[in-house]
Amino acid sequence: MAATGDEAAAMDSISRAPAAHPAALIPAGGTSPPGEGAAEVSESPAAAPKKTSTNSDGGVETAEEAVEPAEPDINELCTDMFEKMAIFLQGELTGTCEDYRLLENMNKLTSLKYMEMKDISINISRNLQDLNNKYASLQPYLDQINQIEEQVSSLEQAAYKLDAYSKKLEARFKKLEKR
Amino acid sequence: MASTETQPRFGQSVKGLLSDKVGSCSGDVIAMTRQVLKGSRSQELLGQAARNMVIQEDAILHSEDSLRKMSIITTHLQYQQEAIQKNVEHSKNLQDQLRHLLK
Repeated sequence: MAATGDEAAAMDSISRAPAAHPAALIPAGGTSPPGEGAAEVSESPAAAPKKTSTNSDGGVETAEEAVEPAEPDINELCTDMFEKMAIFLQGELTGTCEDYRLLENMNKLTSLKYMEMKDISINISRNLQDLNNKYASLQPYLDQINQIEEQVSSLEQAAYKLDAYSKKLEARFKKLEKR
Repeated sequence: MASTETQPRFGQSVKGLLSDKVGSCSGDVIAMTRQVLKGSRSQELLGQAARNMVIQEDAILHSEDSLRKMSIITTHLQYQQEAIQKNVEHSKNLQDQLRHLLK
């Protein structure tokens, strides 16, 4: 604890103004008058660390840690720092969010396109069903047309045969007439 | 990660230590955020998904084009069916007339 008193005295001597430091060389084990110390600290309040007070309690010297006074704008600086950190982290995460948004928009557009295609295909299906039903009702007529076509072709064949036979008959008749 | 020195070093003030500590904590938070993003592989997967979607877009447009052409063809078939229906109704009259002629 004696060493602590020496350290406190040394820090006192460092912190005080160069012109006024008679109490810097207080011997070890001695107590510095608190009033005098307080008066000297008040001379240089801006940059000097806090006054260290030494107390002797039952022969044991104790001292408080010398701390520097907080800057007046430290709160603003801290707030500024945390705000900027938050903005930076938000920016890091925004990239991934934008990727998700892009995919979401692409999916929405694709789903719209598929819905249009679904409507078109529903219309096509309905129209084709109606067409199939109407063509089913026309089927007997189409069968009749097919029958007529077959009969006409067979009639044509018969006509060709008849024509050929009649030509043969004419040729034979002429041959017989010549005799 | 950051060093876990809590005892003041010789010749270094508490203020300097504190600022170093704050800086290292900030760097750790940033590194952790980046690691979380990198570990999730969201960038790769989402990029791959977007690329696949772009590749599929051509097929989707072709399918839509084919469907529209099919709808046009269906409409033409409907027109043809209506024309056939009209002619079939005419043919009924013709059949009746033929029957009368052949009698």
